Amino acid sequence: MPQFETHFYSSLIFWEIVSFAILFFILYKYAFPPLLRVLEERERKIKDSLDEAERHRSEAERTLREYEAKLAAVSKEAETLLAAARERAQRLLEENEQRMTAEAERIKGDALREIEQERRRAMQEIRSQTTELALMVAEQVLQRSLTDADHRRLADEALAALTRSSHQ
Amino acid sequence: MQENPLHPFELHNFIPIEVSGLDISINQAVLTMWIVVALVAVLMMMASSARRLVPGKLQSLAELLVEFIRGIILDTMGERGMKFFPLVTTLFLFILFCNLIGLVPGSYTVTSQIVVTALFAFAVYGLSLVMGVALHGAKFLGILVPPGTPAWLVPLMIPIELISQLARPISLAVRLFANMTAGHVILGVLFGLTVSGGVLIGWLPFAFTIAMNGLELGIAFIQAYIFTVLTCVYLGDAFHLHGHDEHAH
Repeated sequence: MPQFETHFYSSLIFWEIVSFAILFFILYKYAFPPLLRVLEERERKIKDSLDEAERHRSEAERTLREYEAKLAAVSKEAETLLAAARERAQRLLEENEQRMTAEAERIKGDALREIEQERRRAMQEIRSQTTELALMVAEQVLQRSLTDADHRRLADEALAALTRSSHQ
Repeated sequence: MQENPLHPFELHNFIPIEVSGLDISINQAVLTMWIVVALVAVLMMMASSARRLVPGKLQSLAELLVEFIRGIILDTMGERGMKFFPLVTTLFLFILFCNLIGLVPGSYTVTSQIVVTALFAFAVYGLSLVMGVALHGAKFLGILVPPGTPAWLVPLMIPIELISQLARPISLAVRLFANMTAGHVILGVLFGLTVSGGVLIGWLPFAFTIAMNGLELGIAFIQAYIFTVLTCVYLGDAFHLHGHDEHAH
């Protein structure tokens, strides 16, 4: 085989080393750094974009949670206000009722007292008139004068009788 | 008349040069190496000069290559192996373009020269040995005893492992050389048949020539890939010693 003709080996080995060294130097110096840099840059850019997206997402989530919390607080406040208003209305209603009842009670009491007063006055009047009338009737029936003591005793008896009957 | 199928592998010195007894004459193989160097250098410079974040076609291809080699290195050596990235990539590109240019009719296949592949293979293997000794010192001799070997088997294992270690550069060199040579011999034979078969029957071997050329294109890639992967595996073995033995085969 021609590949085993050893007198070509020295030149092949020499030029292979030289060629490979030159190619390695060129690529190492000029081709690989920019290529690797572009790849790294792209990797970093993608990673940055992903990070940013993640950041935006968490931010949006946080805002949402904030709004939800705010909404909950507002709704709770509204509920409190409503409850307070309802309580106040209830209290007013009760107060009113109490006042009305008290007023009615007072008016009734006044009326009763007035009636009692009127009744007493009427009784007094009736009693005095009755006494006079009885005396007059007695004088005419007896046609005789009575002593002052007699007068008094008779009148009292009549009055007592009257009082008893009026109380029955 | 049938042409000798080994004729394409013959070398002829165009320019005889001799420097202090060393013959460094220029022949087809040397010329082809220069073409390879120029081609790879120009392509890679063009690919890397754009530096766009959204890559063009050539830049995409170069980035594909970078990612490809990076994947091999990370698989076999891990993140620390990335310092070998320029060496491994240059080796891959050099071998790949030597293989590919050899497929152009009338050109010379540099990698069909055993001395060329052997130089790469022994250089890579030597590098792995040097690195292993530098990293692990005398413990690197432990590479001759696989982990888990019973003590009474050690005297047997050391010669076996020694042979398997020595076989590494030889198999690496012969694999590439034999693949490239065999492919071109087949192409030569088929083309010889085409020429001698004439118009009536010659189209059949000619069709095979085309098919074989397609196959050889695949082999050019595969052999460059295998050479690169094994380079990384050997370097990785020196890195990890027994850490990742599943990669050693």
